[in-house]
Amino acid sequence: MASTIISFELGDREVEVMVRPMTTLQAVLRNQLGLTATKDGCRQGGCGSCTVLVNGEPMLSCLLPVEDVAGKRVTTLESITPAEGLHPIQRAFLDAHALQCGYCTPGMVMVSKALLDHDPAPSDDSILQALTGNICRCTGYRPIVEAVRRAAGAMSGSAGEQAR
Amino acid sequence: MTVKAYRLPRSLPEALGLLEEHGPELLVMAGGTVAMPLINEGISLPEAVMGLRLAGLDGLERTGDRLRIGATATLTQLLNQDAVPMLREAARNTASWSIRNMGTVGGNLFTPPPGGDVAVALLALDASVTLASTRGDRVLPLADFLTGFMRNELAEDELLVEIGVPIRSEATAYLKLGRKHANTPAVVTVAVRLEWRRERVADARIALGAVGPHAIRAREAEALLIGTTLEAEAIAAAADAATQGCEPFTDGISTEWYRRRMVGLFVRRALEQLTPGTREGGR
Repeated sequence: MASTIISFELGDREVEVMVRPMTTLQAVLRNQLGLTATKDGCRQGGCGSCTVLVNGEPMLSCLLPVEDVAGKRVTTLESITPAEGLHPIQRAFLDAHALQCGYCTPGMVMVSKALLDHDPAPSDDSILQALTGNICRCTGYRPIVEAVRRAAGAMSGSAGEQAR
Repeated sequence: MTVKAYRLPRSLPEALGLLEEHGPELLVMAGGTVAMPLINEGISLPEAVMGLRLAGLDGLERTGDRLRIGATATLTQLLNQDAVPMLREAARNTASWSIRNMGTVGGNLFTPPPGGDVAVALLALDASVTLASTRGDRVLPLADFLTGFMRNELAEDELLVEIGVPIRSEATAYLKLGRKHANTPAVVTVAVRLEWRRERVADARIALGAVGPHAIRAREAEALLIGTTLEAEAIAAAADAATQGCEPFTDGISTEWYRRRMVGLFVRRALEQLTPGTREGGR
């Protein structure tokens, strides 16, 4: 079948791409749009490194035909990174040493963004539950959980004194 | 990627029409959490795929004393409903947040063990499934729908469109043993529902996951409980019968040997949770 044109919202802009049937959102982001923060880890839905938000909800871009997001709002790490400096969640990951190789970080940050959008003061259990689909082979996860805690504090403006 | 056509029907009639037109060559996909990994790896090489995400089959609503779950309602929708607590528990113990946002309740019924845990809860709840085709609809018990490893009653021109669950007030127990606390395939999954009459078990459902070719009911164990007060001997007998009656297997998650031992233990724990006067979470 011929290629089709699919348009969707990406961050604050409208994008239009021409794709072969069932091209994944992951492939479109990385190969056609050059947005490589969204990682290409397992392509099995097993690692979480390709996590993006679709209409604000975390989904795995490796399992998502781009046709399925036509007309929807896709948010990637590039979408939330300010022109200057870092998003508070990125800042918190840096400050809490929540990354070593950094491969899982974009997925971790996107899930954390969705979590904090839903629940600005998550419990540790909520943080763990939210991050269960994202694998990190470096940190042992504790610094990541700490980063999400710090980000919650920073984003609520109360300097990390969040209810646990 | 070799897919030549990806169809996204906007309604059930359109979906059934495509299915009739293309027949079994058309791979039906809902959330994509099972089909897409196979396609990405080149293990599955379908020429044509029908995605159901836009077909309007994602309703989830309570109608009288039934919960009607559209086949493409997501596991997140199942987690967020409160009509049937056991289904919330089953959803909570399935996969991760992102996968639950994509994976569907209907799709879960086509997911082979050690996945497909939602079917275990649905079996214990006496759920039914509605199969639609251009010939009409038919409704059958989930227990009759599942027939073998990746086999079921679905005809080539049929779509699973709805899962119906009776809403009852009885206490239920749902236990899943995995290799970690969350986002794990099952070593074994156990779902139990008991009906009581005058302090005796009047009817019982014990459903098991990851210890057979599909989610199964432990019918001999169920029968052994009827008329008992769920005394320790009855629980032990049911746990033994469940162990004898299942077909555990070895895979990357567990061995047959370990699964066989865990079935009995988890059936016992589930029944102990439902024993009158017993605190939840006993050994």
